[in-house]
Amino acid sequence: MIRTALKTIFAHKLRLFLTALSVMIGVAFIAGTFIFTDTINQTFTDLFDDQFAGQDVIVQAEAEFDVGFGGPPPVEESVLDTVLGVQGVAAAEGSAGGFALIYDSNGEAIVPTGPPTIGASWTEDERLIGNIALRDGRAPTGPTEVVIDAKTAGDNGLAIGTAVKVQTVDGVAEYELVGIVGFGDADNIAGATVAVFDLETAQALFGLEGMYSAITVVADEGVSPELLRNNIALALPEGVEAVASADEAEAQAEALQESLGFLNTALLVFAAVAVFVAAFIIQNTFRIIVRQRQRELALMRAVGATGGQVVWMVAIEALIVGIFASVVGIALGFVIAGLLTAGMAAVGFDIPSTSASLAPRTIVVGLIVGVGVTLVAAILPAIRAARIPPVAALQDVDVRLRMSDRRRTIFGSILLVIGVGLIMAGLFGDVIDLGPLNELTAVGIGALIVFLAVSLLSSLVVPSLARIIGWPLPKIDNLTGTLAIANAVRKPRRTATTASALMIGLALVAFFFILGDSIKASVSESIEAGLRADYVVSVDGFAGGFSPALAEDLKGQEEVEATTSLRMGFWDNNGTEDFVMGIEAETVDQTIFLDVQSGSVAALAAGGVFVHEDVASEEGWVVGDTILMGFAATGLQEVEIVGIYGEQNVVQTNFLVGLEFYEANFSGFGTDTDFVVAVAGADGVSPEETRAVVDEAAAEYGNVTVRDQVEYRESQEAQVDTLLVMFNALLILAVIIALFGIMNTLSLSIYERTREIGLLRAVGMTRSQTRRMIRWESIMVAVIGAILGIVVGLFFGVVVTAALKSQGINVLSIPAVQIFGLVIFGVVAGLLAAIVPARRAANLNILEAISYE
Amino acid sequence: MLEAKPATDLAARISDGTKIYGEGDTEVRALDGVSEAFEKGRYTAIMGPSGSGKSTLLHCIAGLDELTSGQVYIGDTDLGSLNDKNLTLLRRKKVGFVFQSFNLVPTLSAKENILLPLLIAGDKEDNAWFDQVVGILGLGDRLSHRPSELSGGQQQRVAAARALVSRPDIIFADEPSGNLDSKSAAELLDFMRRAVREFGQTIVMVTHDPVAASYADRIVFLEDGRIAGEMHDPTSEMVIDRMKQFGG
Repeated sequence: MIRTALKTIFAHKLRLFLTALSVMIGVAFIAGTFIFTDTINQTFTDLFDDQFAGQDVIVQAEAEFDVGFGGPPPVEESVLDTVLGVQGVAAAEGSAGGFALIYDSNGEAIVPTGPPTIGASWTEDERLIGNIALRDGRAPTGPTEVVIDAKTAGDNGLAIGTAVKVQTVDGVAEYELVGIVGFGDADNIAGATVAVFDLETAQALFGLEGMYSAITVVADEGVSPELLRNNIALALPEGVEAVASADEAEAQAEALQESLGFLNTALLVFAAVAVFVAAFIIQNTFRIIVRQRQRELALMRAVGATGGQVVWMVAIEALIVGIFASVVGIALGFVIAGLLTAGMAAVGFDIPSTSASLAPRTIVVGLIVGVGVTLVAAILPAIRAARIPPVAALQDVDVRLRMSDRRRTIFGSILLVIGVGLIMAGLFGDVIDLGPLNELTAVGIGALIVFLAVSLLSSLVVPSLARIIGWPLPKIDNLTGTLAIANAVRKPRRTATTASALMIGLALVAFFFILGDSIKASVSESIEAGLRADYVVSVDGFAGGFSPALAEDLKGQEEVEATTSLRMGFWDNNGTEDFVMGIEAETVDQTIFLDVQSGSVAALAAGGVFVHEDVASEEGWVVGDTILMGFAATGLQEVEIVGIYGEQNVVQTNFLVGLEFYEANFSGFGTDTDFVVAVAGADGVSPEETRAVVDEAAAEYGNVTVRDQVEYRESQEAQVDTLLVMFNALLILAVIIALFGIMNTLSLSIYERTREIGLLRAVGMTRSQTRRMIRWESIMVAVIGAILGIVVGLFFGVVVTAALKSQGINVLSIPAVQIFGLVIFGVVAGLLAAIVPARRAANLNILEAISYE
Repeated sequence: MLEAKPATDLAARISDGTKIYGEGDTEVRALDGVSEAFEKGRYTAIMGPSGSGKSTLLHCIAGLDELTSGQVYIGDTDLGSLNDKNLTLLRRKKVGFVFQSFNLVPTLSAKENILLPLLIAGDKEDNAWFDQVVGILGLGDRLSHRPSELSGGQQQRVAAARALVSRPDIIFADEPSGNLDSKSAAELLDFMRRAVREFGQTIVMVTHDPVAASYADRIVFLEDGRIAGEMHDPTSEMVIDRMKQFGG
């Protein structure tokens, strides 16, 4: 059996390759995702290990919950004396960390896209310094000296002895560059820029007078870190903890991996779509192959092969295709990982380059998915093959080995109901208890089932759809057009499955188009309504913010009536992370229309929280209620609801607190800097004059952009567009797989129609007419796929947009031009997919073709 | 002698045609210096035992296959001088085909199949001629049917109608009645003979069936790739006697 299967495979190398290709791309996507995220994780794990090298114990304030944003509050300086008094402590030193943005020699801010801009204090004791080492110059001393990392210095031509501008929460100031540091062999820490001051200066610049961010400890010889940790812990005051630095390194790496987990999941979802599409293609291919080999398989039955053996033969062929495709796919994963890295860099998220990691998990998952999908997709056709009665071999009859239309309709309709039900339950879901399924999973599975249902049901509409789409063809291209339509509908199921593979990718593209357009329209509309400020100053890049000193500068200007600073942070909302925006309540009425439903902004300034009306009505909260909010720095707090508001797209969160409350409950990196400052111009001052003032103030900081209302709206829309481009780029692979599917099906169909094509050529069809005939057919299949995709995508887009109403997506906007563009895309895709099959058909040897059995 | 006749009276001719398949030890001379001419308005059958090269001869004259050496003319056109496109156009305009089986495009109706060469060319049909052909063949009530809904005899008659409808210079038939029962075969062959007699059509037919061959005006015998004689106004008995000389 194995030998027979092998022979069959090698007799059809192209078919093998095309079939395997779809699996290959799917597996490559999965493997690439794993390699990509594993590589990032490895980079950061190494980084944290290095950072804590040589240190034994870290003393820091207890964090109530761990998030990537912010951290524990600082500890009092006096804790250091306590620690030094513990037995077994060889050395201990306090440190101060915070936000520090370095400028190049032209005064331009050096903004790494992605990695943070780290400010740190110099560690005096050699035993505690970790892997940080001076490459050149000396350590910083006094309030005017700074040391920076070798990468930042080298890239920007910053030399020892020159003045370097650095922005901290204290503002922008010039420092003398006295030294350059490296980190072990590395010139920087995973792309971050680092500015190091002496401890006292760092404390002053980062707002930590009399405080340390943490205290690092090294043990006496012979004292284990665990023992020392326990000893110190006993001596510490309440609210301060001691952790082994190895644990801390691990914890930090884990926290980072967790925050990257979203990326991993998102990529895997796109990979799953690609694999799903590949499964369609494989199933279709094996069905066609089995049909073409019906006589051969029946002959095997006639000479004594059991049905089981026939299943085996097809299954073995699938197994070999699956293994081959998975192995190549895993290897191609490195290419995908490279593309992902390049793609992330293109949207402004640089990932430090290290050697790619191939975990055993990647290989195992790749093989299981690749082989599994191929086998599962091939097994139905194989079982059908086994049912071919031996007599078929002798009589040359076409055995019907498929579901009847009626059963197909019933089965497809049931699936459609289940799929749509799951989506609805997931989206609007309090009504039905989904059990272990979470809402997103329900929607995802529902979508897959809808795809299956549509592919089953679409064979019923393919003939009419093809005739509608194809109606101009006979007019454009008389006979070849007529034949193309006829060929597209002669095996409606084959056409339906082939088109469905393309449908999946294009449905998701259409869905993202609609969702993206709706988000843009909603955001635009509500920014127009909600933004009173004339100008918005917001931070460039993803990490950190900018010094609050900028807002202070502006407040002093007579052209400026008011500024409102906004800071963003995470809090623990009963076990899930939620956003909160710290907002300057005193001035918010002048800059942002909060659409207050009840309560007062004055109360917000005095402490308490504002809740968005949708959340409030969902939870049944009213002004005067008290909710529990968990903060990393201060733990669980009872906070009174002092207002309900309706604005959503300027403040971007469902919870608002006053700036003072925010400062009291947040600390650590990225929480002490402003995220946005909204600026209202003074009455009687021209917009140009105000703008000039704001621009001038902003220019000093460099890492911010000033936008007026229109520009701000456009920038928000542009963010949505960036996401759209990313998602659609990730869907390209699924679409490419579908194109290979069309190509493969066409090739196999042409192979079946060899005699017919030979006949047409004999009675006078030219090669170019033959090519045109195949091309038209291919275009029809692709356009059918595009139309099915648009229909399904419209459904997804409409229901998801409706479900997001509570998230501020109030407008349903369907971008007709982009959606129609998908039909054009279908035409182009069909043309591309037809190139190889059309050439093969046109180059058939007429004589061999007409005498082909 | 045939060669002496003016070329304009000939629908097709082959001159010193040789066709070699394979190389070295596996070399097969399917045609070995064949010269033959086919007059206009005549019904010629080509006969010979299996492997005699009769199908190869037909394919080469019809422009479906290329000679290794020698020339083939359809009318005055030297097929060797034509590229694939012009050869295709020549087949479309000047040549008709009836194959043994699978003559029809399954997705097209009988009418569309009959009009196939005209549809491919984008030419207008000659309604009167179409009706006449269809009428003679008794296909009038079958025109909207798909090939799968036609009997074997009807399918071959549709093929014959297709070959005739574009009024080609010459029709090549390759065992046209080979798959038919004797009644259907007789109907088809009779029609083909009427096409020659009544409409002046030229037909060249390959067959191994003496009865089929007896419908022709002339039979050319082929053996081992060479012309092995000819027979005029044959009867099936004459053919059977002649065939007995082969392979003996």
